[in-house]
Amino acid sequence: MSALARLAEWQLLVVTGKGGVGKTTLTAVLGRLLAGRGKRVLLLEVDPRESLHQVLGTDPSGGEIVQAGPRLFIQNLQPGAVIEEMVRDKVSIAYLARKITESTAFHQFIEGAPGLKETALLGHAYRMLHSGRPKVDLVILDAPATGHGATMLAAPGLLAKAAEGGQLGALAADLAAFLADPSRCGVVLATLAEEMPVQETLELIDLLQARLGIRPALIVANGLYPSVDEPTPPGRSTDFLRARHQLNESELARLMEAWDGPLCHLPLLPLERGPTLVAELARLLSEADP
Amino acid sequence: MSGGLLEGRLIVVVGAGGVGKTTLAAALALASAKQGRRTLVMTFDPSLRLKDALGVGASAKDKPIRVIEDGPGFLDAALLDAKRTFDRLIRTYAPDAAAAKRIFSNRFYRDMAGNLSGILEYMAMERLFEMQASGRYDRVILDTPPTTQAMEFLQAPDRMMNLVDSKAIRFALDPWWDGKGKKSLAFRVVAKGALELSDRIIGRQFVLDVVEFIRAFAPLFEGFRSRALEVRNLLLSSDTQFLLVAGPGADRVPDAMFFLRKLAETGHHLGPILVNQMHPTPDPNAGKSPGMTLLHFLAERDQRGLKLLSSLFPGAQAIIPVALEPLPPADLKSLGQFSERLMKSKPIK
Repeated sequence: MSALARLAEWQLLVVTGKGGVGKTTLTAVLGRLLAGRGKRVLLLEVDPRESLHQVLGTDPSGGEIVQAGPRLFIQNLQPGAVIEEMVRDKVSIAYLARKITESTAFHQFIEGAPGLKETALLGHAYRMLHSGRPKVDLVILDAPATGHGATMLAAPGLLAKAAEGGQLGALAADLAAFLADPSRCGVVLATLAEEMPVQETLELIDLLQARLGIRPALIVANGLYPSVDEPTPPGRSTDFLRARHQLNESELARLMEAWDGPLCHLPLLPLERGPTLVAELARLLSEADP
Repeated sequence: MSGGLLEGRLIVVVGAGGVGKTTLAAALALASAKQGRRTLVMTFDPSLRLKDALGVGASAKDKPIRVIEDGPGFLDAALLDAKRTFDRLIRTYAPDAAAAKRIFSNRFYRDMAGNLSGILEYMAMERLFEMQASGRYDRVILDTPPTTQAMEFLQAPDRMMNLVDSKAIRFALDPWWDGKGKKSLAFRVVAKGALELSDRIIGRQFVLDVVEFIRAFAPLFEGFRSRALEVRNLLLSSDTQFLLVAGPGADRVPDAMFFLRKLAETGHHLGPILVNQMHPTPDPNAGKSPGMTLLHFLAERDQRGLKLLSSLFPGAQAIIPVALEPLPPADLKSLGQFSERLMKSKPIK
């Protein structure tokens, strides 16, 4: 089975990688592609400074679910808001719920409790799959850039252990089991073919394996410089392009030495970030499907 | 003059992930050493290449490593490690060895302290203060961790102080947990409610682990508090300059504006703004191959981003474009060449 056909079988896809490697664009591209193949897809963005809507050319979400095309939805989600909603759900007396969510102790708990914020986000994705409206088949999470994506994926397990015996712990344990199920959840790594991003990608592959037993479903190397064809006149600009291309090639070689799984190459294109770029990259990714 | 790139005793390099902060911090530090200053560069997670270029290994986590000496000036490099700094801090402030041991063996500290939000940032500040106070350096250049969401390290000292002073902490320290002490009815009702809620939702063991952690920590609070205050004053000092590094192109402008707004709000001193990784405009005779068409597009895109940033940012600070290096510096020589080019970069206004 091709890598993309496998992605289409899943319920949750986590897109992660170092900051500035094109995670959000890749999230949009995968969403476009899989929605085009008949899946009902929700893209979840965690960064409070929304940009997913720009990439897809829709209105900003502001926390709400916004339709971005046939079978394609986006939502920008803040963990604090999700947790407050959980409290309102559990505590039936509105006055008491408000007292809790307004207290500083509550906010310090959210900030301080290990894995709570991450678990809340993943929990929201899980709920959307099972009882959400609109009904979706697949959630693609544009994971936060801070730290490694592994921290996010490890969060429910960590919280389940720490808060064993309570409702929170039970919820976290359910989620941890969901994430660990290779028939339902997968990870896609975005990278650039440059030294630091490749280094972090290799570390992340090891970390995902060691901590969670997860092997990424796909690695996408973004923003590759083209090779310089022969008729190009020699000069400073040609040397510059050639050096960038060679850097990409040597870093891709280093990546492939350690990674024998599915790998896609996507070129740097002379297009602004937006729906046209997403459509073109979706086409290229579909063609390159390993 | 270089547009005031090297001013102040402390230079904090900030910006989103992937914009080249670490290499810029190292290049600035090298220039500072060559100007005769005793300079230290502190960094989190340099690339292998940069580690090689600076000649620093894991030992730089414990103490600074000498990179070069140049007349009266020299360059040292130190790697930041949050957990080690945290451990050292506990040893420093614990009243006795037993108190330190109690913290080190607490489950919550072992498994989770390193994951607590803001801890990494606070520990960076702590180590910075230690180095600054040592008097061994004329200038310290700090590379900051990649935070796109917030400048957490700026808020780290305040957060540490708030945490120490918080009601939740006072509550955890109360002997009521052990069934001791006389308490008002109101206190007992609230405490009982909190415990029941935590039982139902969070799980009692978790709460007790946290309470135990906080209690083991209590003797250190006063030390932490005064230290956090000093760190905050250091960051606000007029001798501390913040250098913002932005990525090229209009897409990265919102990131830069976010940092600029935050720095202005918090009253920190902003130095020049570096727009890094700018693509060069192709030579006029470079032809029209697909590669050159792309390079034209990228160079124009980056120029547009630069103009957008300068139109949105009304401040008096210089905005300095820095060209994308075809290859990242791989040794001290190429880092030195990059450093020279950087110091010659001209601001656009």
